[in-house]
Amino acid sequence: MPIIKNAVIAAAGLGSRLGHGKPKCLVEVAGKPILEWQLRLLDEVEDVRIVVGYMEQDVAKLALSLRSDVIIVRNPAFRSTTTQQSYWLGGRYLQSPCLYLDGDIIFNPESFKAFLDRAGMVSPLIGIASSKTEQAVFAETIVDSAGNLMVAGFSRNNKSPWEWANIACLPPGMLQENGGDVFSRLASFIPLSAQSVECFEFDTDADLLQAEEFGKKISGLF
Amino acid sequence: MTNTAYCFDLDGTVTRDELLPIIASEVGLSEEIGFLTRLTIQGQIPFEMSFRLRCRLLSDIPIKTVAEIVDQVPLDETISDFIKSNTGCCYIVTGNLNVWIEKILDKLGCGFFSSEATWRSDGKLGPLTKILRKSDAIRELRSKYDRLVSIGEGANDLPMFQEADIRIAYGGVHAPAHGLVEVSDYVVSNGRALCRLLRTL
Repeated sequence: MPIIKNAVIAAAGLGSRLGHGKPKCLVEVAGKPILEWQLRLLDEVEDVRIVVGYMEQDVAKLALSLRSDVIIVRNPAFRSTTTQQSYWLGGRYLQSPCLYLDGDIIFNPESFKAFLDRAGMVSPLIGIASSKTEQAVFAETIVDSAGNLMVAGFSRNNKSPWEWANIACLPPGMLQENGGDVFSRLASFIPLSAQSVECFEFDTDADLLQAEEFGKKISGLF
Repeated sequence: MTNTAYCFDLDGTVTRDELLPIIASEVGLSEEIGFLTRLTIQGQIPFEMSFRLRCRLLSDIPIKTVAEIVDQVPLDETISDFIKSNTGCCYIVTGNLNVWIEKILDKLGCGFFSSEATWRSDGKLGPLTKILRKSDAIRELRSKYDRLVSIGEGANDLPMFQEADIRIAYGGVHAPAHGLVEVSDYVVSNGRALCRLLRTL
């Protein structure tokens, strides 16, 4: 089975809405920083790149202590660029499909592995999750003639049972330098193959409490 | 097809250990060389003066003795394999002296830029004829290559990084100098990660 060999974690952002004064990838959930949760999921991926910006020294130090062969990619303009720029910098020069994910999400490991396995065969592949919040980027889905789930559009207004999960496997050349939101860029390529993932993102302290519960629940699945 | 050159610092990048402390220790001058090195890192003496003083301290040791000590210093296997497989587009850019590092350069088989000194008739170090400015090396390569990649770890690599297109701070022996990371595009901490990155560029 073809496998995904490259992954990019976008960990350059400030996490300002959470207000903990550090990037969300360093926030601990169920005893481990988010970055550690994510690197464990990427154990089988041979090339992992972590894009850093805010508190880059702390993020790089943690990343390298957890896995000494990661490549740290610097995004010094993190304050004024979008996640797409981090993704673009991380995946620059790659010639094969690459997994891109935001550095502030915890994934159910079984669901993550299923996504990774499918991404080896289908690229681009867009991760979607059951929508939880009002602020979600909703993903409008259809089923194609072969019975495959596809994303047909993204919207902040038209509610849907699904939201963009901030994880995707993309072939080279799909992302733009200094582009806007990732989902806006992806929208230019619809319809896109989709796969659901079980994950948890957190923006507030209330979310963090729920994240702890989620974290404890999935700990046993590793 | 983009024509790319890979420019490697030597000490603590291609070699698994810094050369100067090893040479100093072998010839019983650790304290003196260490003192000068500390003053240099603290910015209290300019690099060029520091280099001249350190060479002066070691000038009583036969060149052959120093070259043999240097030859024993292990190289990072993954990095030296990469260089040996790409000799046509790899360059060592080092402030170290050609007469001391000759054997390492022969082993690697690639191009190089270094500081230079002459041999005295008694086999000891003659006057320094060239102290390399790393930026000069990159500028010289600019005419031959579309793209220049620099790999280094110390503050003295800054001039090289300022001229290069893709800059990789390497932390194999110790964490790369903070000032160097600030002008880098990538940071890696072992030879495997470095070569994996170089192969994708």
